Amino acid sequence: MSPESPLLLEARGLVREFDLPGKRLFGPRQVLTAVSDVSFSIAKGEILGLVGESGSGKTTLGRLVMRLLDPTRGKVFFDGTDLTALSGRGLRRHRRRFQMVFQDPYASLNPRMRVGEIVEEPLIIHDLVPDKTSRRERVSGLLERVGLSRHDLERFPREFSGGGRQRVGIARAIACAPDLLVADEPIASLDLSIGAQIINLFSSLNEKEGMSVLFISHDLSVVRYISDRVAVLYRGRVVEVGPTREVLDDPVHPYTRLLMGRDAPMDAGETSDGQDRSFELCPFLARCPEARPACRERMPERFEEHESGRQVFCHLVMEGSTWKTSAPSPSRQGIA
Amino acid sequence: MSVSGDPLLDVQDLSVAIGTREGEIRPVSKVSFSIARGEAVGLVGESGSGKTLTGLSLLGLFPPGSAVLSGQIRFDGQDLLALDPTALRKIRGHRIAMIFQEPQSALNPVLTIGTQIRELFRSHTDLPPSRVAELLLERLRSSGLPDPERVARSYPHQLSGGMRQRVMIAMAIALDPLVVIADEPTTALDPTVALQILDLLAAIRESRTKGLLFISHDLSDVRRVSDRVLVMYAGRIVEESPSPKFFGTGPVHPYSRALLSSRPSGAGGTRRDSPLPAIPGQVPPLWDLPAGCAFAPRCPRADDRCRTSEPPWIREGNSQALCFYPDTTPLGVSVHVA
Repeated sequence: MSPESPLLLEARGLVREFDLPGKRLFGPRQVLTAVSDVSFSIAKGEILGLVGESGSGKTTLGRLVMRLLDPTRGKVFFDGTDLTALSGRGLRRHRRRFQMVFQDPYASLNPRMRVGEIVEEPLIIHDLVPDKTSRRERVSGLLERVGLSRHDLERFPREFSGGGRQRVGIARAIACAPDLLVADEPIASLDLSIGAQIINLFSSLNEKEGMSVLFISHDLSVVRYISDRVAVLYRGRVVEVGPTREVLDDPVHPYTRLLMGRDAPMDAGETSDGQDRSFELCPFLARCPEARPACRERMPERFEEHESGRQVFCHLVMEGSTWKTSAPSPSRQGIA
Repeated sequence: MSVSGDPLLDVQDLSVAIGTREGEIRPVSKVSFSIARGEAVGLVGESGSGKTLTGLSLLGLFPPGSAVLSGQIRFDGQDLLALDPTALRKIRGHRIAMIFQEPQSALNPVLTIGTQIRELFRSHTDLPPSRVAELLLERLRSSGLPDPERVARSYPHQLSGGMRQRVMIAMAIALDPLVVIADEPTTALDPTVALQILDLLAAIRESRTKGLLFISHDLSDVRRVSDRVLVMYAGRIVEESPSPKFFGTGPVHPYSRALLSSRPSGAGGTRRDSPLPAIPGQVPPLWDLPAGCAFAPRCPRADDRCRTSEPPWIREGNSQALCFYPDTTPLGVSVHVA
């Protein structure tokens, strides 16, 4: 993917806070900042991987992009339109163009609807194929597209395995030919041999139909395989984003390095939920083995490498001590 | 890891049947394997392959409505399946212990961690309370919990997922068991925490007296922990290989090979290079297994013989596969699992 491709989605300074139950009735408001000042973009035809541990804000970010959640601050631009300024009918008109595949294929399909109805529903809502017969034809085509058959039209979700249900969820998501799919851990609940089939399906939707994908996952090898670029999220903030190979094979941010097993896992260090994220310091400070005095004083600014477009949020980069882009990555040599 | 002497635990021809609406199924069928002292054995399989039930049967735990059709589980000179419930209870948790997938549901939410571990000592040993208090802190510390006094005073909900899983490990090793069974112990954990837990588990066998059965669907975890790999498919063990071979030149059963290559490798290509070699179709339901080899309908090497008769165990070097046509070609360059 060339960096010059036109942008499909751009998130600018997204913040999402959740109110927590207060300790006392009239006590101070407790706020959890799930996503804190996150900016990223997805080009047309690009797959962006979003990785992070549980509780890092991946799912919240996906829902913000889908406008299933309203951001506390920040904006989401979709193909030039500010989604955060839209509501009601205006938003619904745009919804056709971005769709979501949910993590749990058991909970995200209506158990009382037949597969045919589930996949047909978006076509009716967006009034894409008014004629009923041709709409049915379209639904059959969609099922075949995801590896199911027209015999499955009259079946209920419960008659399918996890992989089968996930296919139904994908068929529903691609029914109105969206430009962007947000896939939230789409293979986490699937068996290994089925997961590969679903990954191939995403690849082919991207390849053949030019669909952009925001692929949310904690599985680094899957993200490495499928994504053009990857964004690493830690405690609600993006710490590193850039071309997949560069970020995952030659990680720069100490957290990405830890994630990629470059450094020995630290003892007793782990993300704990419910911690305040509104601080204006590096989110990784408490666990970072290489923290400097500067890290305790101010938030690291964005460091961008122009050639690759990689961005790292770390004071160490400014010192130049961990930035090693000149060294060729070992695996790239190995593949040839 | 070199292994000597008699196996610590030896399972022979274990079959378990359960009655379901669809008819009688055999989630564990003709399963044989052993664990030696100082050995970590990885048991890999997809959901429904029977790996959890195999683990539970080593504790003499069987789901309601199930029956052991055949088999022996030799441990410490006795057959666990022939023991009465009282004798079995003495072994369970004491000599053979299990670490469960979800610590939040395996721990009692209304008792402190200290109370729960002391209870273990009280029901299995006659140690004086002062010694129990020492051992309690020692076990928590050796499970990598930095502040054992505080953890002992805590309730499960006050601990993070990683800490709860460490508590589960502390409970499992509390009474110094000979065999530890870990069933998907890292599924609920974040990747960086999972690595710490895996290393802790791998250390269990380093005493050379204990054995570990590590049950997982994640091949990279199995690689990190195990000396030997068992692969289960539709209730049967279909392959047994030493880890270095399994993850080096590759396993020999077509299913194991497909499983290994259907996962994107840590250093391999991307979607722009080639599609993933996915296994077509899906695991057959246990009440509708095909005749012959259960993997035959999805297998690229299968012929009529595979579809009609049950495959034999064939030995290939230091691997064994339940297959007419084991595949011994090395899996290209050494396969990397991230």
